[in-house]
Amino acid sequence: MNTPVDSSTGVGATAPTPAVELTGITKRYGAVVACDDVGLTLHRGRIHGILGENGAGKSTLMKILIGLVLPDAGSIEVDGARCTIHDPIEAARLGIGMVHQHFSLINALTVWENVALGDAGRLDPQAVRQRIGEISDQYGLVIEPDARVGDLTAGLRQRVEIIKCLRRDPSIVVFDEPTSVLTPDESAQLFESLRHVVTAENRAVVLVSHKLDEVLNSTDEVTIMRQGRVVDRRPTAGTDARTLATAMVGRQVSLRTERAALGVIAVDDLTEIGDSGVAEVDASVEPALSIRGATVIGAGGVRLLDDLTLDVRPGEIVGVAGVEGNGQRALGDLLSSLVSLDTGTVTAGGRQVAAGRPGAMSRAGIAVIPEDRHDSGVVLDMSVAENLVLVNQRRVSRHGVIDQAALRDFALRMIADFDIQCAGPDAPMWSLSGGNQQRVVLARELADDPAVLVAAQPTRGLDVGAIEYMTERLRLAAASGVGVLLISSELEEILDVATRVVVLHQGRVVGEMAHHELDLERLGLLMGGAAA
Amino acid sequence: MLDLFRAIGEIFTAESTYINGALFAGLLIFAATGEWVAERAGTLNISVEGMLLAGAFTSAVAYDQTSSVALGLLAGVVGGMIVAGVQAEMSHRLAADQFVVGLTLNILVFGLTGFLDREIAPATKIASTFDVPLLSDLPLIGQALFGQPWPFYLLYPLLPFSWWLMYRTRWGLEVRAVGEDPQPADVSGIKVNLRRRQSIYYAGMTSGLGGAFLIFVQVGRFEDSIVGGRGFIAIAAVIFGGWTLWGTVGGCVVFAGALSFRLSVQGLGYQLNSEMLQSLPFVVTLVGMAIFAHRVRPPGALARPFVRGLT
Repeated sequence: MNTPVDSSTGVGATAPTPAVELTGITKRYGAVVACDDVGLTLHRGRIHGILGENGAGKSTLMKILIGLVLPDAGSIEVDGARCTIHDPIEAARLGIGMVHQHFSLINALTVWENVALGDAGRLDPQAVRQRIGEISDQYGLVIEPDARVGDLTAGLRQRVEIIKCLRRDPSIVVFDEPTSVLTPDESAQLFESLRHVVTAENRAVVLVSHKLDEVLNSTDEVTIMRQGRVVDRRPTAGTDARTLATAMVGRQVSLRTERAALGVIAVDDLTEIGDSGVAEVDASVEPALSIRGATVIGAGGVRLLDDLTLDVRPGEIVGVAGVEGNGQRALGDLLSSLVSLDTGTVTAGGRQVAAGRPGAMSRAGIAVIPEDRHDSGVVLDMSVAENLVLVNQRRVSRHGVIDQAALRDFALRMIADFDIQCAGPDAPMWSLSGGNQQRVVLARELADDPAVLVAAQPTRGLDVGAIEYMTERLRLAAASGVGVLLISSELEEILDVATRVVVLHQGRVVGEMAHHELDLERLGLLMGGAAA
Repeated sequence: MLDLFRAIGEIFTAESTYINGALFAGLLIFAATGEWVAERAGTLNISVEGMLLAGAFTSAVAYDQTSSVALGLLAGVVGGMIVAGVQAEMSHRLAADQFVVGLTLNILVFGLTGFLDREIAPATKIASTFDVPLLSDLPLIGQALFGQPWPFYLLYPLLPFSWWLMYRTRWGLEVRAVGEDPQPADVSGIKVNLRRRQSIYYAGMTSGLGGAFLIFVQVGRFEDSIVGGRGFIAIAAVIFGGWTLWGTVGGCVVFAGALSFRLSVQGLGYQLNSEMLQSLPFVVTLVGMAIFAHRVRPPGALARPFVRGLT
């Protein structure tokens, strides 16, 4: 079993037995094929990138490798031995560990308790703390074992995640979208320790990502997935962003928005900042929305918003940049009337709005595209028409009774205006794709001619075409005189459309730049909390 | 007014107030300790009422058949765990709604034990009293805490054991993890619903003991109103205690104090509207909940079912 395999298998001709060999992996969920005859070969001492858009099947493939999902067909060989992996404990026994994007740490528990989770045998806090110390020293990942995970920053939480994975000394490590919640600085640090894990200790590493520059800069070879299939695999050296992006999307990538969505704002693109497609608005214009000294204190005394002051003027797009978890959600909730203020005021159209009173923001002309579409944007089991009038039924009702004909007319008009792909006004919301669901939300929010449009993570989970459409709509809204507030954790998206950027850190606005004074380095520093 | 103060003074200096208080608190603590474990694992286990009643009935029948208090206690555990089994398998294997299951179980156990009680009519009595040397001679609380029928003393090891189980063992860590956030627990390789079922069985065990406690320590004979809503007071005590063990015990003591106060008022011959007195413990519970319920943080996944693969 341990005899070297000849060059007919594996990518590298001189490679010994691959650490992992996946062949013909197929997984179906109902009619959807998440993985279709996928093969993957991993070698020790190398970083293998898996690149693909959301929904390309990367996550499913990794869940199969880690034992969270059982494949319908295909085989898994670890160090040349065929095996079936039923759960993460079994994967750990085979030497496979995963650093999860999220979902793996429990905020209410301490660092050491989290690290100990999933082990077997007697619980020995002292031994766990000591092991954490050893790993901290070895990789330079300093952490306080008795800190509560919920109190840590995203970067530190990821550190815990890595320690949790490395403590079992896995020979194969999967990093799943590791930089999605990190500042650029933290990302750089991460890749440094990642390189060390690979070269100094001869492990096989998988880097799952949808960011091209990340894959280009840190992997040895790359597999590209699209719609559940492997479309290309090649050594990273000698390829470039354009080739990878084309393979990933399946057509020529030319539009700026698309590249932004894919994370291809590489250094050579920086010169392109300077055209957001929307003119900057003079600071003397009366703001459509004005937030003054807003403070929201959450559970446990945490300041979700801390003396936040922000203006949005008609016709401008204000981008709120920042690492996730720095008050973006609270800001969105505030403008959706979901939370009330402990101190501060919100003024719209010159009048103060009662924060936290249900519907008050919406009546004041503030429309919101909420962060989580399924959670608070649409009701999946109701029809498209019903979803279109969820916020305001006045136009289709009389004395509280809905006029079915008027509802239908209104829905048909919206479906046409916003080009919503669906079977008709009566189609249930769940039958629509994510992009079309988002169009329903957009149509509904814009239907009442709002003065302010708040878009919270409006392109999350959407494909390239849908992102392009959303960005264009935001521009159109601004052009028609709506003040747009774009809250996004995708910096590229903000750079692309915002006329003014404010940076949020720990619930405060820590910096502000007009579009013409944008400076990526300063932005990065501000996002990381450094005074700049 | 002076009379009122004198009456209250008399109540607080009467040994019987403390003895009754300890009895009420004992029952609540047996039920609430298990309930606490189940809730920390993510189940708002309302069938604790049924577990108490089932435990009381099975222990009474076992004593009737064997004349052994020890076997009666054991049978109480079995009775509580039978109810726990239905609750656990239905809500954390078949993913049925835990409230519907719990509510149905409470009604079912009430009807079933009432019917069987008439058929079997088990004869039982209070277990023999054991005075702990020296400690039982303490003024006021000596008899209350150390001069009780012997099954009372099971409380003393139960509390530290439950604490140790939850905070010093891997099982306890995993139970707390699945109650806070089952998704990462699952990703870490913990069998979420297994841990949740086991924690309900633990609640069944302690509540079954609580039922036997009613028979052998507090009341002496089975009747279908023997529990009378105190399972729900135990649930309130867990919330009141902010989902910590010692807070829960504190909640039990406060609520038991109200129950005992009611009894003492009547026992000492004071005239007060008895319906109002009956409701006192529940009013105290409501007030306690109103004050404390929003100040504490429940386990993150309390009352949320977990189905694997849904992310």
